[in-house]
Amino acid sequence: MSRLEAKKPSLCKSEPLTSEKVRATLSVWKGIVSSCYGPSGRLKQLHNGFGGYVCTTSQSSALLSNLSVTHPILKILTTSLQNHVSCFSDCGLFTAILCCNLIENVQRIGLTPTTVIKLNKHLLRLCTNYLKSEACGCRLPVDFSSTQILLCLVRSILTSKPASMLTRKEIDHVSALILKAFLLTIPENAEDHVILGKSIIVPLKGQRVIDSTVLPGILIEMSEVQLMKLLPIKKSGALKVALFCTSLSGDLSDTGEGTVVVSCGVSLENAVLDQLLNLGRQLISDHVDLVLCQKVIHPSLKQLLSMHRVIAVDRIGVALMEPLSKVTGTQPIGSLGSISPGSYGSVKDWCAAKFGSKHFFHLIPNEATICSLLLCNRNDTAWDELKLTCQTALHVLQLTIKEPWVLLGGGCTETHLAAYIRHKIHNEPESILKDDGCTQTELHLIAEAFCSALASLAASLEHDGGEILTDMKYGHFWSVQADSPSVNWPDLLSQCGCGLHNSQEELSWSFLRSTCQPFTPQACLLREAVGSGSNLTVDCFTAKLSGLEVAVETASLILDLSYVIEDKN
Amino acid sequence: PGSMAAAGSVKAALQVAEVLETIVSCCVGPEGRQVLCTKPTGEVLLSRDGGRLLEALHLEHPIARMIVACVSSHLKKTGDGAKTFIIFLCHLLRGLHAITDREKDSLICENIQTHGRHWKNCCQWKFISQSLLMFQTQILDCIMDQYLSRHFLSIFSSAKERTLSRSSLELLLEAYFCGRVGRNNQKFISQLMCDYFFKCMTCESGIDVFELVDDCFVELSVGVTGLPVSDSRIVAGLVLHRDFSVYCPADGDIRIVMVTETIQPLFSTSGSEFILNSEAQFQTSQYWIMERTKAIMKHLHSQNVKLLLSSVKQPDLVIYYAGLNGISVVECLSSEEVTLIQRIIGLSPFVLPQASSQCEISNTALVKFCKPLILRSKRYVHLSLASTCAFIPHCIVLCGPVQGLIEQHEGALHGAFKMLRQLFKDLDLNYMTEANDQKDTSSPLISKNSRESNQLPEIGNGSLQNPCQDTAVKNKDKLEKTQTYLKVNSNLVVSNAELETYIPCSTAKLTPTGTFQTDETLRCLSLGKNIIIDNCEPLIESNSAVHSTTENTRIEISYENLPVTKIAGKGTMLPVRCKLLDMRTSQSYYSSSMPAGCVLPVGGNFEILLHYYLLNYAKKCQQSEETMVSMIVANALLGIPKILYKSKKGNYSFPQVYIRALHALQTNQLLVSSKTGLESVAGKYQLLTSVLQCLTKILTIDLVINVKRQPQKVYDQDSEDEL
Repeated sequence: MSRLEAKKPSLCKSEPLTSEKVRATLSVWKGIVSSCYGPSGRLKQLHNGFGGYVCTTSQSSALLSNLSVTHPILKILTTSLQNHVSCFSDCGLFTAILCCNLIENVQRIGLTPTTVIKLNKHLLRLCTNYLKSEACGCRLPVDFSSTQILLCLVRSILTSKPASMLTRKEIDHVSALILKAFLLTIPENAEDHVILGKSIIVPLKGQRVIDSTVLPGILIEMSEVQLMKLLPIKKSGALKVALFCTSLSGDLSDTGEGTVVVSCGVSLENAVLDQLLNLGRQLISDHVDLVLCQKVIHPSLKQLLSMHRVIAVDRIGVALMEPLSKVTGTQPIGSLGSISPGSYGSVKDWCAAKFGSKHFFHLIPNEATICSLLLCNRNDTAWDELKLTCQTALHVLQLTIKEPWVLLGGGCTETHLAAYIRHKIHNEPESILKDDGCTQTELHLIAEAFCSALASLAASLEHDGGEILTDMKYGHFWSVQADSPSVNWPDLLSQCGCGLHNSQEELSWSFLRSTCQPFTPQACLLREAVGSGSNLTVDCFTAKLSGLEVAVETASLILDLSYVIEDKN
Repeated sequence: PGSMAAAGSVKAALQVAEVLETIVSCCVGPEGRQVLCTKPTGEVLLSRDGGRLLEALHLEHPIARMIVACVSSHLKKTGDGAKTFIIFLCHLLRGLHAITDREKDSLICENIQTHGRHWKNCCQWKFISQSLLMFQTQILDCIMDQYLSRHFLSIFSSAKERTLSRSSLELLLEAYFCGRVGRNNQKFISQLMCDYFFKCMTCESGIDVFELVDDCFVELSVGVTGLPVSDSRIVAGLVLHRDFSVYCPADGDIRIVMVTETIQPLFSTSGSEFILNSEAQFQTSQYWIMERTKAIMKHLHSQNVKLLLSSVKQPDLVIYYAGLNGISVVECLSSEEVTLIQRIIGLSPFVLPQASSQCEISNTALVKFCKPLILRSKRYVHLSLASTCAFIPHCIVLCGPVQGLIEQHEGALHGAFKMLRQLFKDLDLNYMTEANDQKDTSSPLISKNSRESNQLPEIGNGSLQNPCQDTAVKNKDKLEKTQTYLKVNSNLVVSNAELETYIPCSTAKLTPTGTFQTDETLRCLSLGKNIIIDNCEPLIESNSAVHSTTENTRIEISYENLPVTKIAGKGTMLPVRCKLLDMRTSQSYYSSSMPAGCVLPVGGNFEILLHYYLLNYAKKCQQSEETMVSMIVANALLGIPKILYKSKKGNYSFPQVYIRALHALQTNQLLVSSKTGLESVAGKYQLLTSVLQCLTKILTIDLVINVKRQPQKVYDQDSEDEL
């Protein structure tokens, strides 16, 4: 019986953002995320006093899922970020920091939320239009005929996650593996509608990272004893495969809502077993070589099959069912009765494989878009981090196929975009002012807040007290080590953030934090980009663009709040 | 078990309402802001929806709870106006409080015991509440019909077919979403809704489409978190919130069937018993089950069925055979989804044949395609249904960074359909006036029905294309059909019946001449020419008055015909009936209707107009309580425009706008609104009546008894009787 309980009244607070406590909470939270940002970001150790394992990370996805926040405003911020990350995997911290910066900067100005939201929306549109336009100076097209840019993209992602603890050489190795795994998922004879396959990440903890590898097909983990039993019945050449999704354990299936009365002396178990053995005989007479079952196979059936040199592997689990059905070309069988010959599939071969201390049953496909990425790392936490990073990289590569561009990384896109907006607002403010009834001063204030949010986002990449500069030609990001003796910039600086330009070009610099005269940021030349070799830092176009939009939208949402009603039940 | 708590006084109610007012008034109008609500589950919800906010507060105060209950029952009907409800109620209470304070000052010198005074106060409230009820049921309708109606515009570009132009729908929706969604998304969401509306509608679609969308809105929208709001879009066809169990790609038109039970027969159905006597029997029955399942699926295949929709989970066996036979399967459809599909394509569930599997499947329908739709790495089933009704199925994919925002947009869109559903209905107005006050009773309605007055504008201003003349012409068409119309249309059954009772005196005249003569015949019927003459003189007067106002408004609405045809259809008979009743009572009952699609410009136009006419009415009133109530309502109405213009300065500040409006009304000029956008009059009217009813309720309560016991389960009397 349900219990009726009186509800407690809710707590209602007005103008939540003006409260000192909320501001403090937001700034602490911003401190956490911005200190994680970039290749030199600081790691966070998250541990629960009640148990569980310790997580060392600097990634937004791990950080957000482990950090529990209580304040409603932070809750909405973190949910928004988590949703972004689950959509795009990448650019979570970028979105988080930008959103916090925007809220902070706007609060400092003290204009009404209406004006701020309206103008921020215009500025956002300015940014997205620019990034999507041909004239965009911080975007590079992806050339699929060479792996160079794609490799740069993967390497940038790996470099920006320091918690996976990889050396330079290991990064190169893993990036190559990830790209290879990704390329294996692309079908060979692609028509107009491409369906990508899947890379399955197989854990191998405690091994050297250099031992990681990619194999086509599927690896099913097995105990050594089990595998040794299978070896003698190994046949050479193609194998006929049957894949079962229904249980072969001999349990009774659903008998309906009514009652079933069994007379004394009737053994249903025997009846079902008879049925199973009949099924086994059919499989044998159909010359099936390999039986795979998602659930459990009855020992007697297993025995029967192995006697007839048929390999039976059970307890596959639901996760592997779809890849298996794809690799073997089978139709998962849900019947204990007659099996249509059309539902059998085939594989090229199988072999036993040993990696580290683990034994695997390796299915080698004829031609399929499924591959296994054996990922090694020294310890659990570093492996977890590396796995997340690999998933991010694979996802980002998929996104890049849909929108074949990359954005310049290392803070250059942000500073370039800020320079572009400053220039645009300085020269053509009419385009925004004409339909909105805002004053020029308001526009300048908000634009400055927006640009400085972008600039300080780029500046968050620097964690060692260095100075951040921007050049006055391309609007790129340059950092100088702290306490540098000389003041001759070209000597101190070597390369810009993305690695496209070096300091020996005739450039002039200014401090990022100081406001400078607006200028037209120039586009980088494609030839230069290709010529500069494989040392570019680039970011995923789709994820960053969406991150930018989500950051501005979330900031607007939070700035628009006039009340918070907390349900205390 | 109970204890006496606070006395239900206006003062307490006012305090409560004022607190609520401060919360909701921050969300009102285009400048309104968002409120963040957290649920006990930890979810966060963004809202500007007054109803949601009031619910989220979990109020304890008994009067507050009553107000919230009133608001939510109002919302159930109209889907709009929760915030305005609170503001208006608060102003009404303020007005009442001010008046009673004044009265109390004069009463206070009387030396009565406090307890006695309390009861006396209660009697006074009861009295006031009665006059409020009187106001709501009689005066309000009268004013709406006789004065306000001349200002109404119609949303339809053609009144007869009720066609809606995109521009006017945009005006209506923009105004609606201004109060519902965040500032940066208002325009986008309103455009999205507009697109959706025109994509789903065929030319013959009417109110039934709104009903369908309103009922099934949850099934017609898909929320996707993590993407910017601007990625929201409309997809043609229907999107089911689940993935295929088996997907077999198929080209061309696809036949589908729907089942509501498992295809695989089970050993025993509920209530039956299956006795197993031997192992062989078990095996045979299992074999039979398998064979039968196989046969049914084969049969479906042979009938060219490519898609199976099931409201239950199907066993592995069915899924397997479906895959073998190239039939895609979607399982676990909700009952709402099943109903929606039934309503769109008229597909009824396929009943499994009892004996043989070789039956003709009559319950199939065609879809143009069915394929998986991937939204943010989640898979959905995308069907393109060939609609058999006036609704062309489309789904709205709503994107947003957080679920709370998506829910807000979903709620706003749903509310907009509720609002449109209301707007497309006629609204009945019933009221009673004193018969001797002929000048007041001669409403424009009557004038429209009398032939003499209709000709007046034609003579005086032959070329002028004004609504009055329009009506006259349409009226004639309509009247010629009225004879049949009356019998067919169930709306008019009452008047029809009443007519028949009075008809015996004049049957001879009525039947041969057709219905256009009804005016005349019935006038003959109404015993005595002097009455007709009496009636006609004021009619002409009033008509010229109407004429002048319509001439003024014509500039603005020249392309929008005032949709009075509907009134004409009903009105022709009804006022006549009133006159018949005249003879017996000294009062006349009017019942007319506000046609569907009546709108007014936004920005407090309705409130200011009603305020003006109520004040005028109050001046003419003889009874003091009527005057008082009218005054209170009239003044309370201004509370809403006051908030709307709060942030405006100079020429657009409230006092300026108000003075300009009054001046315009006094000199019969056109009301100019500083804002673009339209709002439904019916919605406003219903809001007003709901608030008045709520206030009446508050006033009639004299004591709140606090019961400290677990709430008892309420048993339904009827169902118990049945048992």
